[in-house]
Amino acid sequence: MTIEDVAARRGVALSTGGTRHARWRSVRPASVVKSAFIGMVALYFIVPMLAMARFAFQNVPMALLTPEKLFDGWSFSGLWTALSDPGIISATKTSVLLVAFAIALNLALLLPLAIITEVHNPRLRPVLSAVTLLPWVIPPIALVVGVAATFRAAVPWFLASDFSLVPFYALWAMPFTYRALDAGLQAINARTLYEAARTMGASLTTIIVRVIIPNIGAAIAAASALTAAMVLGEFAFASLLLKTTLPTEMVNYQRGDPRGGLALALIVMILTALALGLVVRSLRRRGLTVQTAGI
Amino acid sequence: MRASPRRGPRKASLVLVPFAAFVGLFLLYPTLVVLYKAVTPGGALGFDALERALSGTYRTGFINSITLSGTSALIGGVIGLLLALTVKSLRRPAWLRPTLDSWSAVASQLGGVALAFAFIATIGAQGFLTKILKGFGINAGDYGISPTGFWGLVVVYLYFQIPLMFLVMMPAVNGLRETWREAAAITGSSAFRYWRSVVIPLLAPAALGGVLLLFVNAFTAYATVYVLNPSGALVPLQIRFLLQGNVITGEEDLGNAIVAWVIVLLLASLIAMTLLQRRTLTWTRS
Repeated sequence: MTIEDVAARRGVALSTGGTRHARWRSVRPASVVKSAFIGMVALYFIVPMLAMARFAFQNVPMALLTPEKLFDGWSFSGLWTALSDPGIISATKTSVLLVAFAIALNLALLLPLAIITEVHNPRLRPVLSAVTLLPWVIPPIALVVGVAATFRAAVPWFLASDFSLVPFYALWAMPFTYRALDAGLQAINARTLYEAARTMGASLTTIIVRVIIPNIGAAIAAASALTAAMVLGEFAFASLLLKTTLPTEMVNYQRGDPRGGLALALIVMILTALALGLVVRSLRRRGLTVQTAGI
Repeated sequence: MRASPRRGPRKASLVLVPFAAFVGLFLLYPTLVVLYKAVTPGGALGFDALERALSGTYRTGFINSITLSGTSALIGGVIGLLLALTVKSLRRPAWLRPTLDSWSAVASQLGGVALAFAFIATIGAQGFLTKILKGFGINAGDYGISPTGFWGLVVVYLYFQIPLMFLVMMPAVNGLRETWREAAAITGSSAFRYWRSVVIPLLAPAALGGVLLLFVNAFTAYATVYVLNPSGALVPLQIRFLLQGNVITGEEDLGNAIVAWVIVLLLASLIAMTLLQRRTLTWTRS
């Protein structure tokens, strides 16, 4: 505190001293090192995507690829074949429905809970925060054993349906959803809004539906996008319970048609990335600090 | 406003009940059954299943999984932290930080089938990079850089570990105030001294917590290794093996015991992470 005060009081003198110091010591060589480092990291992230795109869209085997042939034989034919495969079409339908149901269930459980906790009982916040971290401790690969040991024996009809995945997907999306909703509520000062509306005689339902929810649209969108990305990527649980979702069907399909399988995986990945990236960017523009890592 | 003080708590419990029932039924009940079965193999209290789960091939599985997760967490942690520090210090391309931020949010979710495919196309036998390296006379497989080799898996895992570390560290790194560096400079400290006495002690808890999170993240990754090397000796793949062959009696207890150890390991890591994180929060918020 005292150091900051001193620094704040002498701000001007300090910062000129600081930049001169920096310029003398390190600006040129350090920024070269920094740019090189960022360039190398960027390369690491870009090369596998390019390699995947080449494999998916260029019909030239790696063994025959020479620098002169780099632009030969590019086409989307693998992708079209994959997209017209009946197995892929029906798996896509299943996955889209799973996304919709998981988002709906997740919001139905967590939205009222997050709001009421925030406006009525903020002491519950750390409890909710801890409970919504549980899915990290019990990941799909662990829970699937428990589900096989309990639900499979007790209620076999339940696991027979593809949609038995919905409650579990809603569970694993909780760390992301709760943190997004909570950040949204903090940012709009939900408690003040609640008290203001309450003084004017609004009922709790009116406050939630007409005051709070319209104000946390961005947070709800973020929660939904993170849930969608999680559901569209989940493989372990679906595969071990022998369900056919888009990720499990992609692995299946890729065995018979490597090129088409990779093209499909790339497209799904790009679409998910675009949707998620757009949502995150719009959040940051509004100054919302949502921890998308889910902790 | 305070006319009906009882209404609040009652309403709160009204929404808490379905949530608690949901978590209890779908998460806690199956987990507790597994933990209970792990300590009562064959119906009687006993620890032989838990012991068997840590011997022979299953011991190898745990050692491999811990080594792989630990290595990818440490390397990913260091690179992710350096990336966060570099991005904070670079101001010039204005698009750099928001781009990396959005990209990390996306890439930290990418572990899975598509990622495995991407690396088959890159470092697989017919991969792009494999071919380029071969052009330089380097056989990547000799260094374990193939989708089934140890270092190959580390390279694949880094694809989601680095962005996750970046996301986790960015708030703490942003919390380092410029005024602190200036205060250190005006009191005559060298840049080295500032790093040793201010930055490292402040960032260490957050960084350690981040590495633990990365460890948990890698330990439970399944889709990527399943596609790359389904017969590998890693815990998630062994769980699959036991689950699909659970007709043999006794094997089921073994599966439960392995899961019990996994939960203990993850719980310990996450509790340590939360404690470290709490230390960081106290100064990033003020």
